[in-house]
Amino acid sequence: MNNTLYNFYIKDRSYRDTYRKDFSKNLAEEFKAEGLSDDERLIRRFEILTALEEPHIHDFEKIVMLRTTKNIPDCFTEDEWEERRKKHYIHESGYASNLCPNYAKVIEKGLLFFRKDADEYGKRAIDAIISLCDKYLAEAKRQQRLDLVEIFEQIPRYEARNFREALQFFRIIHFSLWLEGDYHNTVGRFDQYMYPYFKRDMDSGIYTFDSALELLEDFFISFNKDSDLYFGVQQGDNGQSMVLGGLNEDGNDSFNLLSELCLIASEELKLIDPKINLRVSKKTPLSVFEKCTKLTRAGLGFPQYSNDDVVIPALIKYGYAKEDAINYVVAACWEFIIPGVGNDIANIGAVNFPAVIDRAIRDSLSKAKSFDDVLEKAEEYIKEECKKTGEDIHDVLVAPSHLMDILRDGKKYNNFGIHGSGIASAADALAAVKKYVFIEKSVTRDELIAALDSNFENSPELLHRLRFEAPKMGQANSEVDSLAGFIMKTFADSLEEKRNCLGGIYRAGTGTAMYYLWHASNLGATADGRRAGEPFGTNFSPSLFAKIPGPVSVIESFTANDMTRNMNGGPLTLEFAFSIFNDEESIGKVARLIEYFVKRGGHQLQLNAVNLDTMREAQKSPELYRNLVVRIWGWSAYFVELDKQFQDHVMRRQEYTV
Amino acid sequence: MLGTVFDIKEFALHDGEGIRTTVFMKGCPLRCAWCHNPEGLSKEPELYLKQNGCTACGLCKRGCAHEDCKPFGRCLHICPGDLVSVSGKVWSAGELAEKLLSDSGILNSSGGGITVSGGEPLMQHAFVTELLSLLRGKVHRTLETSGFASEEVFRSVAAECDFIIMDIKLADDDEHKKYTGQSNALIFKNASWLKSSKISHLFRTPLIPGITDTEENLTAISSIVGEDKLELLPYNTLAPAKYESVGRTFPSYINQTCAKLPDLKLFKNARIRK
Repeated sequence: MNNTLYNFYIKDRSYRDTYRKDFSKNLAEEFKAEGLSDDERLIRRFEILTALEEPHIHDFEKIVMLRTTKNIPDCFTEDEWEERRKKHYIHESGYASNLCPNYAKVIEKGLLFFRKDADEYGKRAIDAIISLCDKYLAEAKRQQRLDLVEIFEQIPRYEARNFREALQFFRIIHFSLWLEGDYHNTVGRFDQYMYPYFKRDMDSGIYTFDSALELLEDFFISFNKDSDLYFGVQQGDNGQSMVLGGLNEDGNDSFNLLSELCLIASEELKLIDPKINLRVSKKTPLSVFEKCTKLTRAGLGFPQYSNDDVVIPALIKYGYAKEDAINYVVAACWEFIIPGVGNDIANIGAVNFPAVIDRAIRDSLSKAKSFDDVLEKAEEYIKEECKKTGEDIHDVLVAPSHLMDILRDGKKYNNFGIHGSGIASAADALAAVKKYVFIEKSVTRDELIAALDSNFENSPELLHRLRFEAPKMGQANSEVDSLAGFIMKTFADSLEEKRNCLGGIYRAGTGTAMYYLWHASNLGATADGRRAGEPFGTNFSPSLFAKIPGPVSVIESFTANDMTRNMNGGPLTLEFAFSIFNDEESIGKVARLIEYFVKRGGHQLQLNAVNLDTMREAQKSPELYRNLVVRIWGWSAYFVELDKQFQDHVMRRQEYTV
Repeated sequence: MLGTVFDIKEFALHDGEGIRTTVFMKGCPLRCAWCHNPEGLSKEPELYLKQNGCTACGLCKRGCAHEDCKPFGRCLHICPGDLVSVSGKVWSAGELAEKLLSDSGILNSSGGGITVSGGEPLMQHAFVTELLSLLRGKVHRTLETSGFASEEVFRSVAAECDFIIMDIKLADDDEHKKYTGQSNALIFKNASWLKSSKISHLFRTPLIPGITDTEENLTAISSIVGEDKLELLPYNTLAPAKYESVGRTFPSYINQTCAKLPDLKLFKNARIRK
């Protein structure tokens, strides 16, 4: 590892104060006064910001470029946003996000190739990037950095000729996308589009394994130079997701030496960016799972696995062309998107399963003749909820993103993704009602409702039974698992026929994002023994207090149902005590477990190596644990930078740690 | 046949090759001073009170009408933190075998299987023999034992095992009596039979500071074990954690701080567990 580089950008970080300036002008007001179009505003902002950037080159770094303007000013005034929201559906901040451009093509062709066919705005975007890079060229000349002079004389105008130019080219494009105001800018299939450059240089002896790794680490660090400026729901939620491996068109596994170097670089650097994702399948050799498990041991929550055997056919069934489905990547967290042609909004809404099921139980229980009546009501309500989900989404308006548009061949896919939060709590609630109210008849309907209404105030025994004795998802109990299957199927059915306002479909998902807190905080006590306000599990995972026999049962529960119509994304998370990764033998066993998940047809999996004691200490003395990393929902974060509610949730998840 | 089990642990990492499920049989004839599973000592089901998180709310002492709570003097179905439970569940061999075999897919594909441990599983040898015979041919079977049983029992259970992990704790009989409450004579007889048998096996020695980790003891164990495989287990500093839960006291004379790792040159074929 290049320690000087690491210390400068990661440990010391003082460049963030010394290099950066505030942008204090109110651009939105100026733009408004001039009566500029959306396109003109976006491109003009990009031109202003690229012009303001100052080049910084250090003798200890090979991959350059960092942000010197702290904030990106808005293009629209608050009044204008209000207007826009009245007429349109504005997703999140209203700017382009969660997309993946065609990095392969731009690196292979150079920007001037794109300039020929670009519209006026596209041409201006390209010119702005070239001017910015020319500043780096001038600075490189001034510093006599001949290596960089040679690079910047070639790229980004023309194609990259070698691995280093390809990496620097990526950095320029990725940096520019952020500067354009796009966010959750993903990385795509990095080990695939970079491999030709890497392989050529390795074959010709330009790099050894070690020197290639050092260059790659230099490049990985570049994802962290400005990432504090990319704030999502929490710090770390920034979408810099890198995808490795996966099946290629010939049906072979594509994991290569570069993929392996990426795993090692991530393990050595222990940084939250880039976020490492692995595409795997039945063809993935066990040795790859072992290499990945070593990265898991580093405690970053990487890699996250997506199962090609399940995801690709499911995407084809959704209507994606085979060549696009094969090329899938993940968005910021886990949503499946297509690089270069996709325009999906993969996180446009979320269904609160525990709330819907709770209403169904309450509304059906008094009259239900059998448990089937409860299920019928549940089905009705899930359908109703899904119907509502799209209703407020019309005339979606996303601010222009000229650079992103140049780097995509049209907007072929315009599908919307809907998360489903709290699947385990919802299925557990149904299972408890079925068992205690209808089969055993040991709890009366009134008793149950009264206990829920009072948040179990006077029913400690019923609380114990529902919370700790009732069957739970994660216990490989087919009763509960089939109820989860029923919910997921109803969810998929309800969305299947719908078309969104862009002509695309709706995809049902298994992710929660932050809804495991947001949806749960206003929901009263539920029949799974969850007290009012208590959070749900993350994504597609057991509830926080479920008594779990171990990871094998959890995997069996969460792979029990056919999920191919619920393929928006959202992983099962397995939490492991850090200590189990002590020896090679145990690492091999964890690798076997991942293989088992894949062979059983699980769609997405993410493992954590955690140390609860460390987290407790970090809450007490944050200053001593600045580098402690934890996984949140689809991204990892520095523990001490999180709000306490997120810290607490991570700690509570450990109740089912192996 | 019925047997009492105090835990079934999925994904047990240190009880043999591959991914394994370990069944912990309740009851042990030894009283090793350093035992880290005190809930495995008594062969009867017993109250297990988790300490961490108890707010002394008193709910469990309030009295209840549940049949299953009667023997224990506490309500098992009311604790808001689920801290009150019974260690020891009675299973029929058939039901237990069925449950264990439900995961046989991954156990087999990973080169793992089922491990029967304890307590001392040979204390419930008839049950264990039946259980192992029901698993025969379906999944790999490992026995984890102290070797403290009659030769007849040891050999008959061993005949149903694919692999045996056996402890050799203390070579000196007086020391053995002092720290485990029993003579090591039977253990050595069984060990010597096991060495000469065709059953694959592994010997194990827990490294207890100042008791089993002395050069004298380890040298003697080395000569008993010979060229067979030996695994040395570093002292488990969490051992005292569960004593209070089952109303026992951990002996204060074990000095947890002076644990040291032995020189592997003392042995012919040993490794230290990480």
